[in-house]
Amino acid sequence: MRLLLLALALLPIFASPAHAHRLKVFATVEDGAIDGYGFFIGGGRPQAATFIVQDGTGAELFRGRTDIEGGFTWRPDHGGDFVVVIDAGDGHVAQARIAASRFADYEGGIIAPALAGETADASAPVDSAAPDDLARMIDASVDRAVSRQIRPLLEAYEAADGKVRFNDVVGGIGMIVGLAGMAMWGLARRRERNQPPGGRA
Amino acid sequence: MAHIPDGVLSMPVLVGGGIVAAIGTAIALRRLDERTIPRAAIMAAGFFAVSLVAVPVGPSSVHLLMAGLMGLVIGVVAIPAVLVGLLLQAVLFGFGGLTTLGVNTANIALPGVLLAALFAPVIARAPANRAGLLGGLCGALSVAATGGGVALALALSDSTYVPSAKIILATYVPLMIGEGIITGFAIAFLKRVKPELLDIGWRHRAAEG
Repeated sequence: MRLLLLALALLPIFASPAHAHRLKVFATVEDGAIDGYGFFIGGGRPQAATFIVQDGTGAELFRGRTDIEGGFTWRPDHGGDFVVVIDAGDGHVAQARIAASRFADYEGGIIAPALAGETADASAPVDSAAPDDLARMIDASVDRAVSRQIRPLLEAYEAADGKVRFNDVVGGIGMIVGLAGMAMWGLARRRERNQPPGGRA
Repeated sequence: MAHIPDGVLSMPVLVGGGIVAAIGTAIALRRLDERTIPRAAIMAAGFFAVSLVAVPVGPSSVHLLMAGLMGLVIGVVAIPAVLVGLLLQAVLFGFGGLTTLGVNTANIALPGVLLAALFAPVIARAPANRAGLLGGLCGALSVAATGGGVALALALSDSTYVPSAKIILATYVPLMIGEGIITGFAIAFLKRVKPELLDIGWRHRAAEG
């Protein structure tokens, strides 16, 4: 009992600054390229870890290595869903999904040549193409600005996602205490059943 | 590290680990009585909380496992204790994985149980200081065996993991030292304050067989 109290007293020391030791991937889209890094929630970056890009069906598109800061960059040549996998090689693997909708400005880039071709062979006035170009440029720069601004937010979210919360730790310990109680109850029932009626000591 | 996530290991390794953990749990559950249950719960709670705290070491980070201490205090019951701790870590924190529960349990708990079976009789007879030393050795060796088990599980799943398995063994060395020191102090303390806590997991077994 004293041990249990001691364990409970020590708990906040362990729990408050605690981080689970787990690999995570932060990945975002910047300028049509997938950019990000792997990180251990307890601290540290997976250096020279295998970095794999898969498409939505799981087929491998690219395989490389992360840099010394665990970072990676990869520019897809077509739009679509991508999965970034980082494999530190010691049993730590993590992945992040990048949805096709994140590549808004990139799809603009694909449409661009077609538009250019149209305006070239049709006798459309030059100034009607200019607003399209302008709109694309604005889209692209807004995308860049937004991704630059929300990147710290996304990074903070990813980091917070793996943090060990005191409530969860206490909840887990409560669960263990409950299990022990159930085991004791089961034991008591079995003992009662095995004892001859009235022969309880 | 010792918590291998889902999607890394091959099916035979997962099934093999699951079988080992299931057999160990079945043996342990039959040994549970009202003296071991609270101890097992305390050890499980300790393992659950302590192995969440990661300390950065080099490019990675490590956390204590406490397998040697658990083996010495609760014997084979350490297997279900670790299983419960790992299950809660996987469910609450995404730490490890559900499919790898068996492999991770076997990797963490089994070395502690087996080494404690070797060390417990000697520790029971030793004075407090030497008991602490032996306990520390038991803890450190358990970590090394866990590292070996993780490396083996990875290597059996995919041969490309072999070189990195060597890296794991290197990162386990600082953990062995830390775990050895903490287990040693814990055992020396228990030996002085509450020596009967140390042989309960094993006296029980001796009485039966």
